[in-house]
Amino acid sequence: MVETGHFALVLAFALSLVQTLVPLIGARTGNQRLMAVGGPVTVTGFALTALSFAALAGAYASSDFSVASVWENSHSLQPLIYKITGTWGNHEGSMLLWVLILTFFGALVAVFGSNLPATLRANVLAVQGAIGATFFLFILATSNPFIRLNPAPIEGRDLNPVLQDLGLAIHPPLLYLGYVGFSICFSFSVAALIEGRIDASWARWVRPWTLVAWMFLTGGIAMGSYWAYYELGWGGFWFWDPVENASFMPWLAGTALLHSAIVMEKRSALKIWTLLLAILTFSLSLLGTFLVRSGVLTSVHAFATDPTRGIFILCILTLFIGGSLALFALRASRLTAGGLFHPISREGALVLNNLFLTTATATVLVGTLYPLAVEALSAGKISVGAPFFNLTFGPLMVPLLILVPFGPLLAWKRGDLYAVAQRLMAAFAAALVAMLVTGLFVNGASVFAALGVGLACWLVCGALTDLAVKSGFGNVSPAIMLRRFAGLPRSVFGTALAHLGLGLTTLGIVGTLCFGTEKILSMHAGESVELSGHTLRFEGLYPAQGPNYSEDRGRFSLIGADGGIAAEITSAKRFFPVRQTTTTESGIETIGFSQLYLSLGDQGTDGSVVVRLWWKPLVTLIWGGGLVMMAGAAMSLFDRRLRVGAPSRRRKQPAAMPSAGVP
Amino acid sequence: MLFWVIAAILTLGASLAVLLPLTGGGKGASSSSDHDLEVYRDQLAELDRDASRGLIQPAEAEEARAEIARRILRLGNTSQADAAGTRQPSRAARLVATSAVLVVPLLSWGLYSQVGSPDLPSQPLAERLAKNPADSSVDELVARAEAHLAANPSDGRGWDVLAPIYLRLQRFSDAVTAYRNAIRLDGDTAAREAGLGEAIANAAGGIVSADAQSAFEQALRLDPANPKASFYLAMALAQEGRLAEATAAWQKMLGLLPQDSPWRGAVQQALADAANRSAASGEPATGPDAAAVDAASSMAPQDRQAMIDTMVAGLDEKLRQNPRDTEGWMRLIRSYVVLGKADAARDALHRGIAVFGADSEEAKKFTALAASLGLTATE
Repeated sequence: MVETGHFALVLAFALSLVQTLVPLIGARTGNQRLMAVGGPVTVTGFALTALSFAALAGAYASSDFSVASVWENSHSLQPLIYKITGTWGNHEGSMLLWVLILTFFGALVAVFGSNLPATLRANVLAVQGAIGATFFLFILATSNPFIRLNPAPIEGRDLNPVLQDLGLAIHPPLLYLGYVGFSICFSFSVAALIEGRIDASWARWVRPWTLVAWMFLTGGIAMGSYWAYYELGWGGFWFWDPVENASFMPWLAGTALLHSAIVMEKRSALKIWTLLLAILTFSLSLLGTFLVRSGVLTSVHAFATDPTRGIFILCILTLFIGGSLALFALRASRLTAGGLFHPISREGALVLNNLFLTTATATVLVGTLYPLAVEALSAGKISVGAPFFNLTFGPLMVPLLILVPFGPLLAWKRGDLYAVAQRLMAAFAAALVAMLVTGLFVNGASVFAALGVGLACWLVCGALTDLAVKSGFGNVSPAIMLRRFAGLPRSVFGTALAHLGLGLTTLGIVGTLCFGTEKILSMHAGESVELSGHTLRFEGLYPAQGPNYSEDRGRFSLIGADGGIAAEITSAKRFFPVRQTTTTESGIETIGFSQLYLSLGDQGTDGSVVVRLWWKPLVTLIWGGGLVMMAGAAMSLFDRRLRVGAPSRRRKQPAAMPSAGVP
Repeated sequence: MLFWVIAAILTLGASLAVLLPLTGGGKGASSSSDHDLEVYRDQLAELDRDASRGLIQPAEAEEARAEIARRILRLGNTSQADAAGTRQPSRAARLVATSAVLVVPLLSWGLYSQVGSPDLPSQPLAERLAKNPADSSVDELVARAEAHLAANPSDGRGWDVLAPIYLRLQRFSDAVTAYRNAIRLDGDTAAREAGLGEAIANAAGGIVSADAQSAFEQALRLDPANPKASFYLAMALAQEGRLAEATAAWQKMLGLLPQDSPWRGAVQQALADAANRSAASGEPATGPDAAAVDAASSMAPQDRQAMIDTMVAGLDEKLRQNPRDTEGWMRLIRSYVVLGKADAARDALHRGIAVFGADSEEAKKFTALAASLGLTATE
């Protein structure tokens, strides 16, 4: 079975070469048959990659230590779920997951792309094939997960204990769905550049892909942040760590792309800019992969460092980013510009959004790469951390967030800023009240905290105002309003939800940063401690035995208002003997949207133990907002507008009926 | 054999995926202008919906309609150009098609023959452990025993059997655990205690620590003739620099050991080493003892070094925190000398003397030890 997977991988590589060259030549020469090869080859390539991945996952699940990658990253005592997730908890397996998702997206285009112009479809599949081919080659040449050991060792070296968590089952697949999803936008852009023209259906096709990729990337980042929060035991949710930035940059650029694609789709404007953004977004995804996989950065993500891998990825990076940008420089002038608009209009607002987001992306890029450049040039190490980003990224985000509620309310082509401002009065008043209440009645609230709460409230109310205005609130009777509300396009709900989610995330960040409290103390069993009105009693340390670790569990009781035990919280120190590693399992009790977070430190000689306690108000909203944003993207995806019909000459066009819909 | 059948079927399927579209009649695909027209119609309809919802002002909507209409008009021109551009399949296209069909089997079989291991079957762990023990390797047998003990951790006999095997496989820390479990569950015997001591000493790279010494002493209480315990206790003396006493102990052992005892060789070797060291005193000794070096040499050198370094560094750290530990200082100085780190040993000597004062009894002890190890207080 293992060798079948290995063979399938090699076969998939051969097919990806066919997928790259044959449809491309077909599109150049106008040969229908050559172009038609793209579809079946892409689907078969995906099936083979899936078979290969299944074989590797099977080897992990059955602890087949004759596979080197399994031996290095698995152990027979691990629970089955971690054996399976361990498949991508290492460099080789995660790269296989990467191409699996890449071929999956290619197959989706092949299956659902029958309503695309034939040459565009052929070119898209060819570019997708080219990305696939380079990564297959990368895997086979430098990171082959199917290298065998003979004789096979009897026991493996265990998965990195930090990764033995449910987060590994969710975070990497989501993140890769996001990263790799943008490859489709990239392929569409390069295909348009190869053809030298942008079809009208281009934007209609790119927007849903952007939405899908953005949705998964949002989920992946949120999940990664929550995982780091509870697993690392530092109580932080974002560290401006280069690895985090590597995923955040494509997100920022992808958000810009999402918005500019709307303009392009609706108004056929901003074509060239959208094209460039699509290229940049995927380039940043590739850069992220390079930074994380090459070992340039040391982190839990850099499973193994090997200079040949780094150089190989650098070549891939140069090939795709350099190639696509060169193509862009050659062809962009041939593309026709689209519709016109007044600066104060929906289009104008979206352009402004793009300016802010791309500047923010550039800021993060500088903050991430500058230390690496300094280290490479002068061998000195500098660290660019939170202070840099607070000073640069923060001031860019605040005006953008203030402007967010205006965008959806402005009319297309030419908007009336004054009228929009009037409609937002209620939201503004709500934000003001929230600000005053926070400033005056909450203990220890700084001016920044009050402003932050106001901003979050402004975003949430602004999103709700959008829905209210569009369903005719105040102008029509409640019954009609309800009917209109139900009849609103899904994309309107999508926009409102996404902006609402942004507001919730802002509220969570402000709440945690401005009102959070923490304590570090040494506790004996039976002692109590109070933190922000919550009383915790330390019940003692109890040893326990897991399947492949031993742990000291610290049990804590949350004392309720009546003096009884309201909840039990457990935090543990786990020792994994195979890797001789200790991990901290934090104890978290969610109260409303807030969390009480504690983690165990070292044990003292006198039986006491160091305990770190945090009270994190509204912290769950940070990730909850991310989920709401995902829901918004999903809502938008189901908008019927995105389903472009294939041309059919027989169909009569009724003048008043919408023409979208699958025939 | 099965693998080759599967590989052939996969190759066939992949080749068909290339071949079938090439041989099938190229369906008259719609031109891109048809697609564009469809989109523009859709945009017009959407514009009407936006206008009725008030998302765009009537005047702007009219202007947008005109924009879309202009695009539809422009479409008429390009579609004629498109029709003229479609060519008949050429010979070049047939060449591309043929090479595409050929490249799939050739490349995949060629590449796989380079990177694959077709003869190696899958080896799921459960299957390997379930097969006849007679066919199993030592590692597999140990794994099976481990699985049994993981399920029945109170099987003292199991630990007792496994412990010496661990020792032979040089999994010393596992051996320590196994001996401790065996002693805890089935009581102590001279063999178990001596084995425990040997495991502890080897885990520390051959240095007979206090823990190991107490285990050997316990073994001798249970069986005064236990050769392993006597040998290692003498080794401890040698490591402390008390070469004369060590030599005496080993010579006494030689007298007591039967002629066919396997220990005779080890003892004679140790005596020879001790003789060399006292002859060349001043030269720092490089290794603790032949047996341990031999044992540890099959570990990866960096592993062994790392293990020893960690242990010594731990002791050093402990002494920085609790410096009034005479035994500890002596052990540290000895360890550094054994490791060949003369500077570190000298530093430890000075620090130890500083703790107790230069005139103290302890300081004299340290200086004597250093001298016996061939270490001078200054360069």
